[in-house]
Amino acid sequence: MEDEKNEPNEEPTTDNSEDVDEFDDEEISRDLVVPGETLTEDTKTFLPGRGTIFNKDRTKIISLNIGLKQVKRNYINVIPLRGFYTPRPGDKVIALVTDKNPVKYICDINAKDRGILKPKNTVARGKPRGYRGGAPDRQDNSTEKYKIGDILIVKVLSADRLNKPELTTVGKYLGKRRDGLVITIDPPKIPRVIGRSGSMIKMLKDLTKSNIFVTQNGRIWLKGENLAHERLLIDAIRKIEKEAHTVGLTDRMSEYIENEKKIRGMN
Amino acid sequence: MMNIKRVISTIEKNYILSNLKKGERIDGRDIWQYRDWNVKSNMIASAEGSAEVSLGKTKVITGVKYDVGAPFPDLPNEGVCTFMAELLPLASPLFERGPPSEQAIELARVVDRGIRHADCVQTKKLCIKEKKAVYIIFVDIYVINYSGNLIDAGGISSLTALISSKIPEGKWENDEVVWTGKYLTGDTLVNELPIVSTYGKIGDIIFSDPSLPEELVCDGKISISVTEDKITSIQKSGFATFTIEEVEMLTKKSMEFGKKTRKDLNLWQYKL
Amino acid sequence: MPLIIKDEYPEKLFREDGKRLDGRDKNELRPIKMEVGVLENADGSAYLEWGNNKIYCAVYGPREVHPHHLAKPDRGILRVFYRMATFSVFERKRPAPGRREKEVSMVITDCLKPVLFLELYPGTSFEVFINVLDADGGTRCACVTVAALALADAGIPMRSLVTAVAIGKIDGELITDLSGIEDKAGEADLPCAMTWFNEELSLLQFDGKMDLDEFNESLGLAKEAISKIYEIQLNALKKKYIEIQEEYSGGEK
Repeated sequence: MEDEKNEPNEEPTTDNSEDVDEFDDEEISRDLVVPGETLTEDTKTFLPGRGTIFNKDRTKIISLNIGLKQVKRNYINVIPLRGFYTPRPGDKVIALVTDKNPVKYICDINAKDRGILKPKNTVARGKPRGYRGGAPDRQDNSTEKYKIGDILIVKVLSADRLNKPELTTVGKYLGKRRDGLVITIDPPKIPRVIGRSGSMIKMLKDLTKSNIFVTQNGRIWLKGENLAHERLLIDAIRKIEKEAHTVGLTDRMSEYIENEKKIRGMN
Repeated sequence: MMNIKRVISTIEKNYILSNLKKGERIDGRDIWQYRDWNVKSNMIASAEGSAEVSLGKTKVITGVKYDVGAPFPDLPNEGVCTFMAELLPLASPLFERGPPSEQAIELARVVDRGIRHADCVQTKKLCIKEKKAVYIIFVDIYVINYSGNLIDAGGISSLTALISSKIPEGKWENDEVVWTGKYLTGDTLVNELPIVSTYGKIGDIIFSDPSLPEELVCDGKISISVTEDKITSIQKSGFATFTIEEVEMLTKKSMEFGKKTRKDLNLWQYKL
Repeated sequence: MPLIIKDEYPEKLFREDGKRLDGRDKNELRPIKMEVGVLENADGSAYLEWGNNKIYCAVYGPREVHPHHLAKPDRGILRVFYRMATFSVFERKRPAPGRREKEVSMVITDCLKPVLFLELYPGTSFEVFINVLDADGGTRCACVTVAALALADAGIPMRSLVTAVAIGKIDGELITDLSGIEDKAGEADLPCAMTWFNEELSLLQFDGKMDLDEFNESLGLAKEAISKIYEIQLNALKKKYIEIQEEYSGGEK
């Protein structure tokens, strides 16, 4: 089974702690806005940031999404509460192989376009191919490595509005997952599941003794000791998804899990 | 649970199967446990009878309409009861627009056969004048949210809609149907209560009430309709095969389930 | 054989005390109830009860276009499918979509397009499925209102919501929000929808007879009624989140 050499041996840990928690508790105003709502009429001081736009006569800034209003320096942003995933280069995402042909795999990455994984991006470059100086094998030129239905953790290499995103499985933590379970939540709420510098995810892992890998496209891979732990974890994630726009979530979640553990009689 | 896509991931299938082998299911039910039923009736004002049935997150709305028409030549003194099912594209990304799919036709047919062979709808009472005018009852099943096991939800909702319906009574005078001003209600229309129960099979494990992820990964399903003491229809679908012992066991299970459901849901309370 | 009981049109559409048949004043709306996020599988969804109208709406997208030849290389497409249930009307409707349904679908599509940024999503489609389970007049207005809610619930960037209402004329008087019977027996029907980012009309149809003054007056009435419905729309959209916020903020906001 030489094709497994590039896959991670240790279980992945969360690697996305560099992401900022956009729902940062201190800075966030709890103003809920909906599309078309006026955010400010002071267009001299403020500029439209993410999720906002000037109206036609530039007399006010309006929201484009349902979300939370946030003022950062002189920008007004709206942090969306609902939305879809748009791939950006560098994102780690969970992909499902939905189709393949001799030159590429086609992966569902929960975005508007399906991602493309070329065989050359499934084999690490710079390593000697083949054994002991033997002829290089053709692994990187055929789509034999993954099957339809496989769950892969991939990184987005390139993505823009017009072309299909290109993916790679070469890198730390990337590759095929052999067990566990994948659940999907609203992509805009992913930062909240991660928490500020990964605090939420660390708490979830410690309390439920599970392995979690959270990716930007709203999919979460998880594997626990047994079904009871996994179900508790799923319930907790669903609760985070539902209450993403509230304050003090991390503390409340740890309380919730401790409580549920007692109710469900788990240690 | 997992995002619904046409291709089912291998790990999800393995996950469901390995847990079923241990007698556990992802949503915490045990092997023979049903999700919660929620039945509402008569919320559609334009329909003669209607029902909204939820089984877990699966949600089905059924409406009853009638028309008066000529009977079939071979059954001159019997009314007609037809079933139609539509899998609305809003219920799931798996459903497509356009003419009814095979799945929709199967749903309507299985519900139809379960009810027809149980003599549930008393078609003889739906005759106004022999060879001239009979009632045509349309039972239309609309799937609003798809989360597995549409057949059981469709069966209960059709029954409830029929029970809750109120159809103007007509009589034959001077070659014409005249309305008496009275109404035919559920107890005239419905006689027996056939209850359909569905079982899924993965590998050699059988479980009842498949939820959406289970339905998508299972090898096959079997739906059994029963009245108080008789089996009225069976439909096996998918590529799974069932041993004779398994079928015997399942028919016994469906009888028990039918008795229990008839008591728990108490569908006659929805009669007007 | 046709149905024997027919819709009976009353001679007068006002009661003796000057109220309408269902007890409303001339410019009173029917009770409206809206809810978002009602369907599990859809990207965005909404449910609306407007008098007797009961409507479910689901939004999917942006996603790949099927059939593929409909895809536009420079922008996304919006497709609306307005369908009525067979039991939603007095006489059973045939299950296949008819000409009326296709026309209404098109009208709603054109009405919603101005608020979306379709040019940002080339080669994709936004699909809006609207199912009318019970119909009692003014369904196209109700559908526009509920579709805007479902689009907002899906998190699709929008310039603003869209709200619609119908103004009619019965027995020589202008009324707001026609019911089914007033629509059929009345003299005129004016459904219109407003996009809130520029406060302009994006749906306008008219059937019947009105003189110019009446027409101008009815547009004023429409604006008034639309503002009221807009409030309900906003509340429906925010309610889900605010309830949870209040539960945990311990009263201080």
